[in-house]
Amino acid sequence: MAERTIRTVKHREHPLDILTDDQLHRIQEASLDVLERTGIEVRSEVTLKELGNAGAVIDESTSRAMFPRSVSLEMLELAPRDLPLSAREPGMDLILDGTRGYLGVDGNAAEVVDLETDERRASNKDDCATATRIGDALPQIGYIWQPASAREYPVPVEPLNNLQANLLNTGKHICMMTAVTPEQARAVAEMVTIAGGGVSMHEKPIVSAFQCSVSPLVYDGGPLQAAVEFAKADVPCGFMVMPILAATAPISRAGTLVISNSEIIAGIIALQLLQPGARTFYASCATTMDMRSGAAVCGGPEDIVFQMANAQLARAYGFKSMVGTFASGSRTSDWQAGAENSASGFASWVSGVDMFSGAGLLYAARVFSHAQLVLDAELFDMIASTSEGVGDPQEIDYAVDQIDEVGPGNHFLDQEYTLEHMYDVWPTEMFSHASWEDWEAAGRPIPKAKATEKAKHLIETHEPYPLPDGAEAAIQKVIDDFEKEYVQ
Amino acid sequence: MSEELIEQLRVNLMAANKEPALEATQGLVDGGVDPVVILEDGMAAAMFELGERWKRGEVFLPEVVASATLFKKCNEIVEPALLAKGGAQKGELVVTATVKGDLHDLGKNMVGAMLKTVGFQVHDLGKDVPVDKIIAAVQEMQPAIVGLSALLTTTVPQQKVVIEALEAAGLRDQVKVMVGGAPVTEEWATSIGADGFAPDAPEAVQKALELVGRSTKEAEVVLGSTA
Repeated sequence: MAERTIRTVKHREHPLDILTDDQLHRIQEASLDVLERTGIEVRSEVTLKELGNAGAVIDESTSRAMFPRSVSLEMLELAPRDLPLSAREPGMDLILDGTRGYLGVDGNAAEVVDLETDERRASNKDDCATATRIGDALPQIGYIWQPASAREYPVPVEPLNNLQANLLNTGKHICMMTAVTPEQARAVAEMVTIAGGGVSMHEKPIVSAFQCSVSPLVYDGGPLQAAVEFAKADVPCGFMVMPILAATAPISRAGTLVISNSEIIAGIIALQLLQPGARTFYASCATTMDMRSGAAVCGGPEDIVFQMANAQLARAYGFKSMVGTFASGSRTSDWQAGAENSASGFASWVSGVDMFSGAGLLYAARVFSHAQLVLDAELFDMIASTSEGVGDPQEIDYAVDQIDEVGPGNHFLDQEYTLEHMYDVWPTEMFSHASWEDWEAAGRPIPKAKATEKAKHLIETHEPYPLPDGAEAAIQKVIDDFEKEYVQ
Repeated sequence: MSEELIEQLRVNLMAANKEPALEATQGLVDGGVDPVVILEDGMAAAMFELGERWKRGEVFLPEVVASATLFKKCNEIVEPALLAKGGAQKGELVVTATVKGDLHDLGKNMVGAMLKTVGFQVHDLGKDVPVDKIIAAVQEMQPAIVGLSALLTTTVPQQKVVIEALEAAGLRDQVKVMVGGAPVTEEWATSIGADGFAPDAPEAVQKALELVGRSTKEAEVVLGSTA
């Protein structure tokens, strides 16, 4: 198999800062105040006690852990900034050095848009497999979450089945989002070690993970313990928050940012207290509530401000950022989805997001659509092409000789250099610029239809990077053993 | 041997490989191959196939234009042989013009180049062409078709002016009128009494073939024999 490459957006030397220096500083300071004064609720006596032993101030009556300012600063200092995310397939490692941004397949949708009927239905393991396979095939995808949930399996073993569907269908970096207990984290580490042919996760973490808070300011015991288990297995584990302005966060944008930042750094601080030196990252999918319906918006201007501000905050701390991008609130791949995702994608680019998460979700991240995954990849490609500006500084062609050669009133169409470089012009696949007549003759096709065809084609034809010999059975055994032990 | 060279001509003309296409054409002429065969089975067949590929979105427009430009050069090699043969059949004449007040002639030039590839003779009057000049050309040259292009909403009405002038001069029945340009639609073409409209160059060629009674099907049989 020829070595492939991942399409990335090229970051500017100076990303666009949406917060002033003063605003940034105040959010950071306010977060330290929140963690010292209000603290976080930890829903595990054991973890609470461990945090207390490590330096947090514990109030057992409210299950709260308060982090004194000095402890917070010390732990933030201690956390490594380097994040070497690798892949099973050669050439697919992520280079997270601020010069580029990657798109990931979004995930854990409870429902999917059925590729045949176009109707919404409960997701299953096969959806996770097919969406992963498409993500593996698309050069615009750098890493993959668990796109849909294997809901036909018992809850404790569901994440392992999601991961198995991933491993069988991609050689790209996998980010584990659904392993939320220490037992699941250990099984995940075992499965990926098998898939990686015994590779050292310290040298080559082919999987990463993140844990989520419950806004405002709550961490369940399982996720924090899972983060520790991942750290012990050398799997980098970030902290992802999803506060909703006006519902689970204050109605002010700045207030919501204080909540999101407090929760993320609380996760990082807690991990460093429990497992010093653990690799981690800064992740947010903050959004707002629609004031009419009460739904999560995922796509409005508040979301875009949060995306940019979170990228800036991550950068200020020196952490790598994973920021919710795309995941339109629309129910289908229509104008709303296109408009929201365009704005969202460009915001993540200009603000220097390291990992754009991600492609394929609709209905404010509740429904996965294979066609939307294809469309989001195309949109990302458009942004990637834009990010290249007028080209490689070493190779910019100002074309003065060509202009002179063609002269006034003529055209450049049949010139040799036009033919040589016509493939450099962004080659849209999903958009159409056919004549009105051709468009009508074709039955006024919409991009979604084209994307659906491409999705089906990739599922049928794409061959993912194979697992090592014997790995498939060994991975299955991990799942079977886990099921015997933990599923009644 | 000549079959092989014809194939080389087709392949290289479609790929706009200038030197190899010209060499193949020269080789065929020097080898005494019937110039009508070179033109129809070689050059025209290649352009027809390329047009089909373009319609399917398989090639880019610069490729089609580059091949059409190369077609002209190949034609310069074949033409003396055709004339020497004496019985060379001349295709129908199309007079093209970008109407008064409009300097945007790229589309018209592309249509002209493409028309030549299916055997039409094209006489181009250029851009910013006054009505009188078009009427005079129709009177003198008696073309089968006159093609009028306009890119601006401010110049599109000139297409109507030309048609009215053709009527006033008693010439309207003798010539088919095709109109094109970015703001031109089928509705506009019908409303001003034009005979044909096309949204792009390959379709303009089909329309022109229909207007002179050479159906698209016939063209496919003649030109698409190797496709």
